[in-house]
Amino acid sequence: MATTIWVWVAAFFTLAILSFLYKDNPFYRIAESVYVGSSAAYMLLFLWSFDVKPKMIDAWVKGSTTDRLILIIPITLSIFMLMRFIPKLRWISRWAIAFTVGMGAGLGVAGLLQGFVVPQIKGTIVPLWIANNFKQTINNWIIVLGTLTTISYFFFSRKHTGVFGKFSRTGVMFIMIAFGATFGFTIMARVSLLIGRLYFLLHDWLGLI
Amino acid sequence: MKREIPMIITFVSGMAIIIALFVPHPPFGRVEETFNNWYIIISGFTMILGLNSLLGHNLDKVKRKAEGWPYSLTLILSFFITLIWGIVSTIRTGHIFASTSTFRNYYYTYVFVPLQSTMFALLAFFIASAAYRAFRARTVNATLLLVTASIIMLTQVPKGETVMAPVLGVAALLAVWKLMSEFESAASWTAGLPYLLLSIAIVAVYLPIVEVLRTQTTAVNDWIMNVLQMGAKRGIWLGIALGGIAMGLRIIFGIEKSYLT
Amino acid sequence: MKFFEKLAKIDRRIIFVILAITIISPFLFNLTFKLTPLEESKRAFNFINSLPEGSTVIISIDYDASSMPELQPMLEAVLRHIFSRNLRVILLGHWAAGVPLGQQALEKIASEYGKVYGEDFVVLGYRPGLQAVIINMGKNIHATFDNVDYEGTPLSKLPMMSNIKTYEDVACVFGFEAGNVGEMWIQFANARYGVKVLLGCTGVVAPDLFQYRQSGQLVAIVSGLRGAADYERLAKHEAFASYGMTAQTFAHVLIVAFIIIGNIGYIFTQSKKRRSS
Repeated sequence: MATTIWVWVAAFFTLAILSFLYKDNPFYRIAESVYVGSSAAYMLLFLWSFDVKPKMIDAWVKGSTTDRLILIIPITLSIFMLMRFIPKLRWISRWAIAFTVGMGAGLGVAGLLQGFVVPQIKGTIVPLWIANNFKQTINNWIIVLGTLTTISYFFFSRKHTGVFGKFSRTGVMFIMIAFGATFGFTIMARVSLLIGRLYFLLHDWLGLI
Repeated sequence: MKREIPMIITFVSGMAIIIALFVPHPPFGRVEETFNNWYIIISGFTMILGLNSLLGHNLDKVKRKAEGWPYSLTLILSFFITLIWGIVSTIRTGHIFASTSTFRNYYYTYVFVPLQSTMFALLAFFIASAAYRAFRARTVNATLLLVTASIIMLTQVPKGETVMAPVLGVAALLAVWKLMSEFESAASWTAGLPYLLLSIAIVAVYLPIVEVLRTQTTAVNDWIMNVLQMGAKRGIWLGIALGGIAMGLRIIFGIEKSYLT
Repeated sequence: MKFFEKLAKIDRRIIFVILAITIISPFLFNLTFKLTPLEESKRAFNFINSLPEGSTVIISIDYDASSMPELQPMLEAVLRHIFSRNLRVILLGHWAAGVPLGQQALEKIASEYGKVYGEDFVVLGYRPGLQAVIINMGKNIHATFDNVDYEGTPLSKLPMMSNIKTYEDVACVFGFEAGNVGEMWIQFANARYGVKVLLGCTGVVAPDLFQYRQSGQLVAIVSGLRGAADYERLAKHEAFASYGMTAQTFAHVLIVAFIIIGNIGYIFTQSKKRRSS
């Protein structure tokens, strides 16, 4: 019985959001407000359950003296972060933000270098002639040409004229094909989401299918 | 000092991570692990940085009885109801997502999930409407985009290949028509010749292409994704990656400071 | 050519209704099309199929309800395959709002196969900090999650976890992705520690990942509802994704038809303009 009522609640919210397709209306606005308000609370609860409690409180309780001494730093920085909410002490929050920004930048550089730039360049260095494998030869040519012409299109320190211009214009064609593929996949994804919601209404709520 | 200390913190933390990448041995590996652990703790708090302004803004609207204030009130009420529910659930079951938690089994499943997923399902309608109004084969490049998108859409679904012949047929007819009108209005016969040749080429490859798409649908899909479109994606992402690395280094070395304002 | 001009001015709400009816009708008439799995989906399936019994797979929930219809059925299909082959699962996630979805799917499929918590599967939950979590897991999974599972049970009390300390003790990471977390798994777990990575992605994310496949950094990409349906078929348990794909065919044909009609109208009006000028 409880589940039935809750399915109706879910159906109400689903229809309320869908009603936006007709036009903006109070039902949609209510559903939107509930969504924004409750997800903010959800994030707060999440922070408690997966960060504050296990990584601060429990770690403090279970930790040795050294553990606790080390733990003081991140706990202090986390409290600094919350100083953002107090206008007079707002500047202290920059210390915490500076740490997250520095870490983010360091992690970004490390990941992109080791995990993207180097292996991707390696991946582009492929043999352009493979004996007895015509198909792979052609594929390798397409991959190398696609990559190089695309990069040349984004190379702005040289005028796109003459041979270089032709090269970069080929790049645009590859880019368009790539965007076309992304576009096709995006339509597929959006339609799937709608199928999911309509299936919920027909199956879980109305029981028609 | 209000600027220097944060810049030093940024430099030290960022450099520690980069050094640890090249020298993973002690003490750098250990420093990296510790810094990562701190980052795990602190970065969680960035999730709630917007909370203050969200609640403050809406509370203010309710106080002033500004237009749409009942919605702001709904927002604030749902924030507190959800919060209290979550706290009660946590106390009763030990964890907010315990398998017996009513917060997970009712609030999350029947309120949060339908709201969030329906928000995104709306996009299907808008993309369909855009397909009808906005996607025009104005240039050769736009045509390439549309044809690739259509082939991908039809090879991604079962039985999609059955409509491949008419779809590509109409596309080819439109292309030939456009090319022929260019041929007609060309200044001289030689200037128009490429249009004529291209039209003939389109007619000539139509049947073989349709046949390949119809009989080897999954192989064609695999080839487009893994070969034809992949090079351009790699090129684009290499550009973005190099830009990202440059930006990261600028931040670490204190050249980029916008995060301090 | 008044017809095409009129056609171009159809109210968008009529288009919305047509799309909704198109999607609903195959469900109402119980239409299903058989599909041949895509090569990419087969690669993922074959890889999981080749793992020795008892191996552990890390499942990462990096999506939330906004892409649930695509990734939830995919996750269930993959879990069915994993459990039917007596592999073990460690579930964690990097998207705060999605972790419970992963948990619910895991509990459901595990009970179908009579699997026991702590012996056959463990839920580690979530920690903020994405890349930092992925790197530290390579050094010590237990310490990264503070030696507890999501509910606070010590990992030392869960028998399955006694042999699993780092990535070296797991067979692969199978990430379910609606954003860039999949790339983080590749850039940190694979590049640094050599873990095999497979990704199940939404259609929006998938096309940007194929370069990792060619460079050998990624085993396979299962993409969108189609990938989910492929996996259901390969694992011989057809469910929502397989039924949904028929509606997907109808919707795609409709949208392609929209694009064509729109373009016919466009070209007619263009040539008319040219003639009159």
